[in-house]
Amino acid sequence: MDALKRTILYEEHLGLGAKMMDFGGYEMPVNYPSGILEEHLNTRKNAGLFDISHMGRFRVSGPGALAFLQRCLSSNVSALEALQAQYALIPDEDGGALDDAYLYRLAEEEYLLVVNASNARKDWEHLSRMIADFDARMDDWTEDMGMISLQGPESKRMLLSLAEGAFLTEPVKNAMNRIRLEGKDVLIAKTGYTGEPIGYELFAKAEETPELWRRLIAEGAKPTGLGARDTLRLEAGLPLYGHEFGADAEGKAIPIFSAPLAKFAVSFSEAKGEYIGRAKLLEQFKAFERIVNGRFDGTDALPRRIGTFAMTGKGVPRAGYGITRNGEDVGYVTSGSVTPYYVTSGEGLATTLTEESRTRRIGLALLRNDLQPGDEIEVDIRGKKESAVVVRDHLRSIDPPFARVILPDAEKAEKPADISGDYREKALHLVRAGAENHMWRQTECLNLIPSEQTHSRGLRLLSILDPSFRYGEHKKMKSFYDSDVFYYQGTKFLHQAERLLTEEFKRYFGCREAEIRAISGQMSNAAVFSALLDFKNRANRKRDAVKLGYVLNHHILYGGHLSAQPMGSLHDCIAVDPATDKAALVNFPPLAENPYKTDLAKTEAIIERYRPELIILGKSMTLHKEPVAELRRIVDGLGLETTLMYDMAHVLGLVGPYFQDPFAEGAEIVTGSTHKTFFGSQRGVIAADYDEDEIKYELWESIENRVFPGSVSNHHPGTLIALLMAAYEMNCFRDEYQKNVIENAKCFARSLAEAGLDVAGDPSVSYTETHQVIVKVGYAAGPETAERLEENNIIVNYQATPEEEGFTAAGALRLGVAEMTRFGFGKDEFERAAELIAAVIKDGMAVKEDVKRLRSDFTDLRYCFTDEALSAELDRLAAAI
Amino acid sequence: MKILDGLYYTREHEWLKVEGETAHIGITDFAQHALGDIAYVELPEIGSEFAAGDVFGAIESVKAVSELFMPVSGTVTERNDAVEEDPALLKDDAFGNRLITVSLKDPFAPGALLDAAAYRELTEKESGE
Repeated sequence: MDALKRTILYEEHLGLGAKMMDFGGYEMPVNYPSGILEEHLNTRKNAGLFDISHMGRFRVSGPGALAFLQRCLSSNVSALEALQAQYALIPDEDGGALDDAYLYRLAEEEYLLVVNASNARKDWEHLSRMIADFDARMDDWTEDMGMISLQGPESKRMLLSLAEGAFLTEPVKNAMNRIRLEGKDVLIAKTGYTGEPIGYELFAKAEETPELWRRLIAEGAKPTGLGARDTLRLEAGLPLYGHEFGADAEGKAIPIFSAPLAKFAVSFSEAKGEYIGRAKLLEQFKAFERIVNGRFDGTDALPRRIGTFAMTGKGVPRAGYGITRNGEDVGYVTSGSVTPYYVTSGEGLATTLTEESRTRRIGLALLRNDLQPGDEIEVDIRGKKESAVVVRDHLRSIDPPFARVILPDAEKAEKPADISGDYREKALHLVRAGAENHMWRQTECLNLIPSEQTHSRGLRLLSILDPSFRYGEHKKMKSFYDSDVFYYQGTKFLHQAERLLTEEFKRYFGCREAEIRAISGQMSNAAVFSALLDFKNRANRKRDAVKLGYVLNHHILYGGHLSAQPMGSLHDCIAVDPATDKAALVNFPPLAENPYKTDLAKTEAIIERYRPELIILGKSMTLHKEPVAELRRIVDGLGLETTLMYDMAHVLGLVGPYFQDPFAEGAEIVTGSTHKTFFGSQRGVIAADYDEDEIKYELWESIENRVFPGSVSNHHPGTLIALLMAAYEMNCFRDEYQKNVIENAKCFARSLAEAGLDVAGDPSVSYTETHQVIVKVGYAAGPETAERLEENNIIVNYQATPEEEGFTAAGALRLGVAEMTRFGFGKDEFERAAELIAAVIKDGMAVKEDVKRLRSDFTDLRYCFTDEALSAELDRLAAAI
Repeated sequence: MKILDGLYYTREHEWLKVEGETAHIGITDFAQHALGDIAYVELPEIGSEFAAGDVFGAIESVKAVSELFMPVSGTVTERNDAVEEDPALLKDDAFGNRLITVSLKDPFAPGALLDAAAYRELTEKESGE
């Protein structure tokens, strides 16, 4: 037997009083004096520091590196850009795992493969044999570099402190970067093995690793041993080789697809091609598909799968214990233990960890493939059948800043609404509560949500007239020279209103076409994407439509619209790229010095490389003009047929000289919701500037068809009549309104900064060129701050900044000035509002009465028709209906 | 490491305190240290009968399970529910928190049980290994 090896941090562990053990041939810390439970809990609430230098690190480089890795790993390696990481299996020919591994792409032809210590030698020998056929080489970097992992909600703050605030990585899983920490070159990856939504792995020169380790401890990170590493990964349901992969209890290889992670780590893409184990993995995948669909015959390739369970009876499950269901053998425990967790307080987004901790007894098991979450099982604990239940998971890892513990017996936080009581009473209550809410928002609150707008009295009354009870389906017919044919009678008033509204929008945008039947901005986008698909496939409709690819848009973290993402309206329209197994999507790169702005030089390179079919401009967190003219120049310069679209939802009411003129600058299609900076009602609009003679006019016709009958039958004629009034108001008052909105936003931003708040954006343009202002309030403090402001009648929404991982960790507020500008707020009022906001945020003051006072003089809406004749007519109308 | 005089000990690190025809049984401070974080305790039901050497329960740390062995023959008359609820009590005071109380089957005789001095010797030997 070889002597145990030691990592570069061995002396550190001894100095910290660690209990050492043999792990994978290394003498490693199992725990430090604080103990496994405390180390586990600390990682969930603060940050745990792990020595993982024992893991095997193989550098793979050369022109054939990609092909070699594609042959030897299960994942689609071509999906990795430089400085990205992915999880992969090293399959054998039989579809079992030789090991599981993490692959880090360092450069164009350079990768780092990190494998389990216990398998490192076996992996090295296997991969060395395989690499002979490729123009690539493999170097063992295990001894040359140290590897430490920092996991937990505070990990980012600690690293930022060491990096003196320098950019770490994109806030997404598997992102990587090269950074300087304390003067040392460090490769950083947003990866980990604990289930923490925020965690990093650091690679440094071996000799520089101990210093880094000590500095992180000084920042507050707690050394955490392999004991807690095991309970953390168990709680997160992450597989461990030798338990969930490798040989099963009978010594047979566990099929790779038994593990839930396999579906992310195994690719059958044509771009990947043939690789070791592919045929067997495909058999397993087919069985997996049947199992997912509830069919268990023909699933011999995958008789058992790794499931998650929690004990409901006594005892602690341990690896190897048998499992039965109703007395029948259904599998065995692969990993089990007691794990601690913090009791939480609060509900929903306000959930936080208390000081109180408890333990639970949980495990992973190889279970017969028909067992489902909720199934009751028995674990054989030293001869006693103890009850347990199969669960979906023990922990959710995607809602930062905390990993969220899931308990099987926890009750749903939100109870069904109480509907007891007499219906007359309930009706009366509804009217009273509605009136109360209306008066509160209309007379006592500062309404600062940038996507909202109060409607004028005229709009409101028009929106409830008779057309709101009607249908107004109509379609242009070529047989009648494109005249609209209505399907129902009694709609001539509506027809006329639609024709007028169309023309008002054309005038507003300065374009040739407008479609006004979509009832939301999201529907407008969905109709355009669907029409693009239609247009792309117009020559051949006898096959499945070829989907769109590539699409260039804004990443949601940088303010991109939800509706312009594959999870939104692009969902059914965008292709999967076989090179990456992901949606054929690329994102605008932000400027390094201002993440709210797009880096045009990099964008040009991206457009050249991907030649996108569609570019979607527009954001929901938007501080700047969009580079429409520059993109038009780039697209035309490359001779591309790219469709250039601008989703102006937020800034639809700002079209013009104070902001930007999309069609004059070269946009082809503009979509938007009509109730943010525009004056309402809550609907959508699509505008385009195609000439009837150009080919793309067919795209426009497709858009009209994808709105009706593609998206709506009833298009809510009531709010459409109201929108005509809004268009009159906008076309009449736009100049004064738009100028004031933008001036007010700049003034508001400056005032907030002067009041001591951290305003995002470029101070040289007064932080904003739109109606929006972004205020940073501290990591993950957004939801709580927004709630506190609401208690003071200041209505804003919390917002994740580009540095943050998502809305649950939002550390900013998004404010808009459009609605209060319409109520007559000017410089003085926004200065006062800024003071009140700062008083709440910084000093925790109660300012509700001050807010009410400020608001009380501004309850009449401006930039709408208030002349005597119209007011009298509205009075008559209100009385009559 | 705390070892109390006047108690008897087993080689599996249980302690026994005899009071007439009843005896209190717990685990030693040494055992508690060796196990690390004790996360789960399983005790027998009242009325269970055991012979000396029988397994009467288990103590589990995160990493491992340790079975509990009866130092004497007897019937369980009391169980310390507080320890089951909060196993950390054993870490705080292993001697102050007995696990069970039994009524002795036979009049007490030390037999193979160790006294404090002999147990101290055993623990010193085991920590030296």
